[in-house]
Amino acid sequence: MAHKILSSIAALALFWVGPAVASNKLIAQGTSVTVAKSPLTITSDREWNKMGARPGRNSETWTIDGDGLNDVTFYGGIENDRPLFREVDRRSKPLPRFSSTMLLTDLPELFENSYSIALHTQLMKIDSVEPMTFLGQKGIRFSFTFTRMNEEVRRKGEASAAIIGGKLFMITFEAPDVFYYERDLPAYRAIIAKAIVGSGSRP
Amino acid sequence: MTACLLGALPADAKESIPILPPYTGAYQPQGVDERGVWMVADEDERMLRDSKAVINDAKLNQYLRDVVCRTVGDARCNGVRIYVVRDADFNAWMAPNGTLAVNTGLLLRVRNEAELAGVLGHEFAHFELRHSLLGYKHKRTAGDIAAWAGVGAAAAAAYGYGSVRSYQSIERSAIGSIYAFSRVQEREADLMSMAYLKSSVYDPRCFADIWDRLMDEADATARGRKQRSARYDRVAFFASHPTSLERATYLRGIAATMGKAGEDDSARFRMALAGWRPEFLTDQLKLNDFEGTDYLIGELAGAEWTADLLFSRGELYRARGNPRDLVSAISFYRDALLQDPTNANAYRGMGLAQLRSRDPAGVETLKKYLGMKPDASDRAMISTLLQ
Repeated sequence: MAHKILSSIAALALFWVGPAVASNKLIAQGTSVTVAKSPLTITSDREWNKMGARPGRNSETWTIDGDGLNDVTFYGGIENDRPLFREVDRRSKPLPRFSSTMLLTDLPELFENSYSIALHTQLMKIDSVEPMTFLGQKGIRFSFTFTRMNEEVRRKGEASAAIIGGKLFMITFEAPDVFYYERDLPAYRAIIAKAIVGSGSRP
Repeated sequence: MTACLLGALPADAKESIPILPPYTGAYQPQGVDERGVWMVADEDERMLRDSKAVINDAKLNQYLRDVVCRTVGDARCNGVRIYVVRDADFNAWMAPNGTLAVNTGLLLRVRNEAELAGVLGHEFAHFELRHSLLGYKHKRTAGDIAAWAGVGAAAAAAYGYGSVRSYQSIERSAIGSIYAFSRVQEREADLMSMAYLKSSVYDPRCFADIWDRLMDEADATARGRKQRSARYDRVAFFASHPTSLERATYLRGIAATMGKAGEDDSARFRMALAGWRPEFLTDQLKLNDFEGTDYLIGELAGAEWTADLLFSRGELYRARGNPRDLVSAISFYRDALLQDPTNANAYRGMGLAQLRSRDPAGVETLKKYLGMKPDASDRAMISTLLQ
């Protein structure tokens, strides 16, 4: 009986063609690609690795040396009443939602709260906030520092965001404060400088 | 003078508090199991000590140490090391080697020193009764039984030795016993804590009140998230603690039989935590729990809405951001400013809430904010809103 069950499981495993697991992918230097299943278009000055795992529906993460060492995350048009990324525990730890009536100054707060809930840490803080032109629009740039619970690595990050047509477009960078942040911030800034929405002309 | 709820004398007092055993200081672990448990606890403590989440405030630490000493007595409190952990959840724990960790979420929710003493006494009781060791041993035995019952169930399925169902029921009851054992320990620690409170200056009737408020807060949270609230009249299979209702009921019963009054020392408590409360409130506001936080802020206020609570309530309503919330937020900020006109952040919140409700008065309000805080980290950003 048990043998039968086992062999049928083995047979199933042999012929099972599950959904292909998205794999990591190399982004070659100098190519223009659309990211985060959105019209957000990025031209990279250097090689990047696109992570197969997405943080959420309209987002995507790139890294140079590996996840957690230097991550650039693209949020390509988060719609009204949607969280920034996938909710791990929707019942007991729901994430705050983006609202299209938010002011630009509400975005750092939304980001801060989303991170502290998702990472279960009270050690998340926005360091500075300033205006910028992002994707050809009035935007906001803010820097932040955080430490995950039980990890003790201090990470720093920077985010650039704008609300376009009621949707949130944002590109963030985060890396350990030691070594990686300083080294890779220019690569992130280069991405920001060339990011556009749509294929050619700026909106 | 005390503000804690009085309980009726229970019809049949089943619970009796233990008599405090003699205490020997500088206890050293005995046997291989206890030495192992302590070794792990020592390593954990080294990591905790260096953690960025620990608040290093000598005054706050000294205050908490005083409360522990006033609860369990000077002889007992000597070996305790206290760590305040920046974590918005209501929790505290004590390790077998004498590490006592207290979450800031607990300090925010406790209303007076007598309640705090009840919780810290409970944690100390786990330590004095060596619960970690006993729990570890029980888990190991139950784990062994469950594993062998699993092997038995597999053998029964494959070769027909015995019935699968009976092995599975052994497995289930072994796992269930781990949680049941934990609940027994929690109850023991509650009773022991009442024994400490009996010989302390504190009013033992206060301890039960915390559990009432925690239930109400959890209900408010559930309501806000459109979920059914938890049931407190029965114990879940995987529950590690008795339900809050059960705890409130037996603690109140014990306090009534004890017939002892005492201090609640709420003024001392408020003073010791005054500097930290705004910080802890800020952490609470990040949790995206509107109803629960609104309940908590209301409970903290009681009959007296202070400036920090009004400001926090404004921030809470502004974050939810429905048009009606923005109206409420503006009035909370305004009331906060009446009491404390120096709070620049209240002008910031009020101005942003006004702008988001398309009220041009927001520009003037934000100018006031920038005037009061010329080196604000968001100065450049706020300035763009003024054009």
